[in-house]
Formats: sequence, structure tokens, C-alpha cells
Amino acid sequence: MRRLALLAALGLTLSACGAKTPPPPTPEQALALRPADARLSGLYETSCHACHAIPGTGAPLVHDRAAWDVRWKQGEATLLDHAVQGYNAMPATGQCATCTPADFQALIRFMAGREDSAK
Amino acid sequence: MISRRGALIAGGTGAAVVAGGGVAAYKVATGDKPEPPSPPSVDAQGKLLWRNWSGVQHAYPAARLAPKDEGELAAALKVAQAPIRPVGAGHSFTALAPTNGTLISLDSLSGVVGWEGDEAIVRTGTRLGALGPMLAEKGRALSNLPDINKQSLGGALGTATHGTGARIQAMHGSVTGLRLVTPSGKVIDADATRNPEVFQAARVSLGSLGVITQVRIKTSANRRLRRRVWLEPFEEALAKAEERWAQHRNFEFFAVPFTGLAANISHDETDDPALPRGPDQDTEFLQALRGLRNLLGFATPLRKAAAHALLSTAKPETAVDEGWKLLSTERPVRFNEMEFHLPAEHQLKALAEVVRTIEKERPDVFFPIEARRIAPDDAWLSPFQGGPRGSVAVHAYYRDDFTFLYELIEPIFRRYDGRPHWGKLHTLNGGQLEAIYPRWKDFLAVRRELDPDGRMLNPYLKGLFGLGY
Repeated sequence: MRRLALLAALGLTLSACGAKTPPPPTPEQALALRPADARLSGLYETSCHACHAIPGTGAPLVHDRAAWDVRWKQGEATLLDHAVQGYNAMPATGQCATCTPADFQALIRFMAGREDSAK
Repeated sequence: MISRRGALIAGGTGAAVVAGGGVAAYKVATGDKPEPPSPPSVDAQGKLLWRNWSGVQHAYPAARLAPKDEGELAAALKVAQAPIRPVGAGHSFTALAPTNGTLISLDSLSGVVGWEGDEAIVRTGTRLGALGPMLAEKGRALSNLPDINKQSLGGALGTATHGTGARIQAMHGSVTGLRLVTPSGKVIDADATRNPEVFQAARVSLGSLGVITQVRIKTSANRRLRRRVWLEPFEEALAKAEERWAQHRNFEFFAVPFTGLAANISHDETDDPALPRGPDQDTEFLQALRGLRNLLGFATPLRKAAAHALLSTAKPETAVDEGWKLLSTERPVRFNEMEFHLPAEHQLKALAEVVRTIEKERPDVFFPIEARRIAPDDAWLSPFQGGPRGSVAVHAYYRDDFTFLYELIEPIFRRYDGRPHWGKLHTLNGGQLEAIYPRWKDFLAVRRELDPDGRMLNPYLKGLFGLGY
């Protein structure tokens, strides 16, 4: 059992070593990115785009995995609380007055490049 | 230029951290307070938190509505649970939006929906930052913009939000007509000739008369502007401010406390080719000021000497671009703010007194203090009604104590006959406001006619208007 566990751990380590973090989007790509869902895209456009699609605002850039992965490690529940309550430069709810918790979760997943987590 | 200096100062803070070691030492070395406690994301009934941009106001609305058209809005208003409060981007520091009843967002009612000559018909859910490119498609622009462009048009107009320029009115000064949906679901079109009393009351009305869904607003040619930013001694900026307001299309300056310096910003029309603004430097500058506060806040003369040495030789910055790209600035550092609008002849005296008071009493303050000039208009609740006004705005970092605004700063503004910005911190209400607004009673009469049961009023607005429902 112990050997199996060691092998499994080694396998995971190797697999992690092999998985490269994709490069961040160019400023033009970041500006153009939108969620596939039309309603979510509207919410993103109004509330997230102004900070998360423009480099240098201090907000983690949309689909910048290097910037988002350290945050993602805190867990989705923590990220959701930060989005709803506000945290550092992030204003509460991104000032989206009608977003639901499910909307925030979907928007966080989109920006973090983790839309596959919804599946 | 400034950012390199900011890095130097931040480096100084870092050295203090390394030398001292540990989290406690970091807190002492930086002087930074922790993130303020937040209300829970949902309340005991499972209702979701609403909070304003700075975090100082919050509520758990029972219902949140985002009507897709005026018909849906009118139907909803008839039956919505009071207090009914329209909300935009939540940039007001006063408790205009919080409600445990119904929060209405106009995010689905946005965009330019028509033109009458050079006047645009704009839905009030449109965010100011999005409106610039929409108008630019027609070669037009708003005549001015506020310092921040994240607000909704409705929220900006409703609180008499303004930019700077001695010959340019606040945003509502450009509004020539509006459509109001009352709490009973009635739709009223108002301008200088149709329902003129409603028009004069509604142009600045704190979302208290119903929901304004669209406005007709004057635009001007989308000209390129030359933006200049330069530092100089504060006393020199004070001495030259009046001639600069007379000289420039837009001029404002920031007194930088504990530095002896001021940052001037001017905008003037030009046909020169575009020279984009480049990355934001204001945030770096703020971080530098915070670093100086943290390292040397205990010794004002030392802090001033260090600030002068590090900042005073910064080179002026220049940019050329369309106005909507230059007049507003990204403000990623959150703050709380008090701003009063003073008769123009009192503005600089009041500003000098505010700076002296802060430097004497509050070494924890590091945010620059903003001075702007606004042309008069005649909306009944416009703070700029009756003559030109100069604004003075004092900011406190969102983690820092801001009670000094009420205790030390507001008395200065009131002594100089100031009127508060409707969306920024102040304590005035009822009779105090009636004394400084000649059409106060006329406004309240229109409000009573349109909303006799006070369904648009939350506790804050009832107190502000001096009403005992």
C-alpha cells in the first residue's frame, strides 16, 4: 500500500511538473474575452470587465492562470466571499446589484480559466 | 517618474519589515490597518449582502429587480416592497441606496437609444465609462466627466456628480429632458416646457421621486485634449489657482498633505496627434505617500523633508487623446470621502485651513485633497445653484478611521457656507439643508405629490428630508 501511495504521489508530482501554466492573454485578447453565456457575458461586461480585462488595474487579469491559480488555491467559497463582501481593491459584488451567488461563482470560474470546474 | 520614487519608498518600508521581522513588526513598520471586518455574505434569512464601493454602507434587500424595459419597471414599482431604492454602481458613500425592501438596478436599461440633433437620448443605467465610446461613434462627447467613470449615468445625475472647469456645469447641467417612472407606475416626460416643476426637481433628486429611466443630454464635439500633470509647492498652486481656472478648459489641483506640494492637472483642446496616457501612475504615487506615512508619520518635519526630496523634482506628464479617455482616472485604491461645494470666493481659504488642520491633527492621513471648480446651474437641489462653486474633497483610505471628516473637516466647510456633495459623507439634514437651498420646500412639495406614501424613502432619506413617516 505504502509503495502504491508513493508511486501515486510521484505520478502526481511528475504530472504537475509536466503541466505548464498557459501564458497570460495579450491585452487585446483580455479585452475581447467574454463568457459564452449571453446573460453572464452582460454581467461580466458591466461589472468585471473594467478592472479584470485591463492590465495594470491591480485586479487579476481574465484567463491569467498564473495570477488566478494562487487565488484559486484558497477555495471557491473564499473567493465567493471576497467577491460578495469586497476585499482589498475589489469592491463588494463588483458593484453588480443583481448578480446571484451562482452568477459570481460562474464569473469567477470564467475569469480564473476554470470553467471546466462547473462540469 | 513618480512610480520609481514610489518603489524607492516601498523599498524603504520593506527594509523596516526585514529589520524588525515578524507580522507584528510588519504592522508597526507599515502602520497599515487590517482589512475592515465585513458583514456576512448572507443574513440569517439567506438574503444576499449589498455593499457600496467603499464598504461603509450595506444592506440585505428582500428583493432585487433588474427590469428590462419601462413597462416592466412601471409594473414592478406599483407592487414592490418599500423602501424602493434605485442603485447604480454603488459609488455613493452616504446611505442613499441601502434598503431592506426592494433594490432596483437599471443595468438592463442602458445605451444610447436616439438623437435629437446633437442631444443624445441615453438610458440611465449606462455606465459613464461605457458611454464615452458610444457617443464617440457619432463624433460626440459629454462636455465633462467626473474623476471616476464607473458610476451609472442615473446615479451620477441624481447626486449632482461633477467634473472640473470654471465654465463647465456639473453633469446634470447638460440634461434638457428626462423620463420619470413614479412609484405608482406613472410615466412622466419632463423638460423646461413639459412638467417644468418636475424637471427642475428631478434633475438632482437622489432617486427619491421614482426612477428616471432616460435623459436627453447635450453633447459637444469629441475633441482631443492635452492633459498636463505637474507638481509644484502648495503655496504656489494656491496663488495661481484662480488664473489657471480662468485659463484652462479643465483645471484641478490636489494638495498633498505632509509634503508641502500640490499636483496640478489641466486639460485643453488641441488638434495635436494622439499621445496616449500610458500606464496609471496615480496608484504608485498614492503608495509612495502611504509608505511615507508609515515610515515617518511620527515626525512631520522629517516626513515633509523626505517627501520633498523624493517627489518635488518629478517631471511633468503630458498626454493627448479624446476627452473621454483622459478626464476620468482609474481609482483601484478604495477610500471614504467628504466633499463640500463652497462659494468660489471661499474655496481656497477653506482648502488652506483643511490642509493646516490635517497636518496639525491627523498624521495618519496621506490621501491628496482635491480642489475643483464648477459653473452654476438652476436645478433645485443642485449644490451649484446660485453662483459658481469650488469643491474641496478630503479622502481617507478605506482601512483608516474617517471620523475626523465629521469632527474636524465638516465644521470648516460649514463655516465657509459649503453645501455637501449628495453622495459623499456629511451630517446635514432637514432644516440645515432648507437654510442653504432656496427651493428646498418646492422640491419637497413635488416629492410629496409624486410619492405621497414615501415608498422611495429609506430611513436615511427620511432623515435627510426631515420627514417623519
